[in-house]
Amino acid sequence: MAWLNGKTVHLAGVHPAIEAALKAAGAMISRTQEANIFIHIAAAPEHVPAHKQSHEAWRQTLDSGLDQRFLQANEFAKHCRDRGAGGVVLFVGAPEQSAGVDQAAAAGALGNLTKTLGVEWARDGIRVNSILTHRADETVGNLASYLVSDYAAYVNGAVMGVDDHD
Amino acid sequence: MAVPSHHIVSEPPAFEAPPYPPDIFSGQTVLVSGGGSGMGLAMAKAFAQGGAKVAVMGRSLERAEAGAAEIAALGAAVHAMNADVRDPAAVAAAFDEAERALGPVSLLANNAGANFPVLAENISINAWNAVTRIAIDGTFMCSTEMVRRCIARGEGGAIVNNSAQYIWTGFPGDAHSAAAKTAQATMTKAMARDWKPWSIRVNAIAAGFFPHASSTNGDAPEAIAPLQNMIPAGRTGRIREFGWLSALTCTPLFGGMTGQVIVQDGGESLRRSLMMPDFVPPRERTAGPWGWQ
Repeated sequence: MAWLNGKTVHLAGVHPAIEAALKAAGAMISRTQEANIFIHIAAAPEHVPAHKQSHEAWRQTLDSGLDQRFLQANEFAKHCRDRGAGGVVLFVGAPEQSAGVDQAAAAGALGNLTKTLGVEWARDGIRVNSILTHRADETVGNLASYLVSDYAAYVNGAVMGVDDHD
Repeated sequence: MAVPSHHIVSEPPAFEAPPYPPDIFSGQTVLVSGGGSGMGLAMAKAFAQGGAKVAVMGRSLERAEAGAAEIAALGAAVHAMNADVRDPAAVAAAFDEAERALGPVSLLANNAGANFPVLAENISINAWNAVTRIAIDGTFMCSTEMVRRCIARGEGGAIVNNSAQYIWTGFPGDAHSAAAKTAQATMTKAMARDWKPWSIRVNAIAAGFFPHASSTNGDAPEAIAPLQNMIPAGRTGRIREFGWLSALTCTPLFGGMTGQVIVQDGGESLRRSLMMPDFVPPRERTAGPWGWQ
C-alpha cells in the first residue's frame, strides 16, 4: 500500500517495526522537523516500585514520556502553521499500567494531552493520536502508518493499544 | 455556519483507492448485519473492495437486496437475506444460508442498530427493548454463532462492531442508544479475551457522525452543511472512511490487534470549553431531544 507516498516523517526515537512499515508505505524518514508527520517514540522504563524510585529516574521517564513529546510536538505544529500546511502527530509508548508509577503518570498525562492537542490543532489541519503498547510487530507498524496517513483523516485525539495484553 | 476559509480540513482518498489490495479478503466471506443501508452498507462495500464475499443481512429483505445490488456492482459475490438478530434460531438459519450461498463465514460486522431521539421518560418498553436488544443481544447472537462455527472448523476469524463516539460521555436525549453502544464496546474487549486462543479477533469503531441516505436528516448537502463547523475536523465523516477502518481491523495488516475500540469522530466527542452555552435539559430544547436544527 502506498499510504504515505510523498510524505516525510520526522521520526524521533527507535522502533524498527514502525520505521519499516513507514518505508514500506512510501514515506521518507527524516530526523528534522521539516516533515509532514511527526512520530515520537519513547522507550518503556523498567518497573521500579514507587518507594524505590529515585527522583532522577522518575524525572527521566516524565521527561521522555511527556515533556519532550509536548515540546517537540509544539515545535512541529509551529512549523506546520508557518508553512500553512496541515500535519500529523503520533505518540508511541508503553501502556499506562504496564510499569511503575512513573510510566502511569507519563502515559496518563500523554493520553489526555493527545485528546487536547487533537482538538486544539484540529483546524490547523493537524491530527494528534497515540498508540500505547509494548508490542513491536508488524501490526504496530501498520497501525502507525495508517494513523499518520490520509486514510485516518477523521481519526483525531484517539488513544489506542493493539491488544489488551500489551 | 460555514467553516472559515483559513481553516485546514483534511479529506480521505477517493472511494476508488481503498487502503488495502483487492484480494486481501480473497476466499473469505463476511456477514454484515444491517448491511443493506447506511453504515452497514459502507462496511459491506469496504469488505467487497478487499475481495470478500458478502452476506448482507437485514430485517427487511427488500433493503438487504437493494444494498446487495450496490455491492454486486463492485464485482463482489453477494447474497441478501433477512433475519432478526435478536432471534437465535433466525441468526443460526442466516449463517446456514450464508454458508450455503457463499461458503464458511469467518468475518463479521455487527452493525444492526436502531436509534432515534427521544426523552428517557418517553421511551416505551418496546422502543427500549428494540434499541438495546438489536445492538447488545444482536452482537452477542451473531458473534457467538459465527465463533462456534469457526472453532468447529478450526479456523480463526475477525469481528468488527459499530459502536459510537458518545459511549464515554453519555448522550442526553438518547438514553437507549447510549446504553446499547457502550455495551458493544465493553463486549468487544470481553469477547477479544475469550476468543484470543482461537485466533478470533474482535475490535470496534466508536464512530462519529457519518451522514448517509438513511440518517435522521439524510446526507443531502443542505442537511450536512450546518453540521460541518461544529466538528473540530471541520466536516462530518465520509462514510467510506468508516467502512475502510472497519474492514482494515479485520485484515492481516492489523493481524495482532484485538480488543480495541478506535474512536473515529473528527474530535467531536472531545470538544470542550471552560465556558459553554447555558445548560438546557433535553426536555426543554426547542429543537427536540437531540437539539437537531
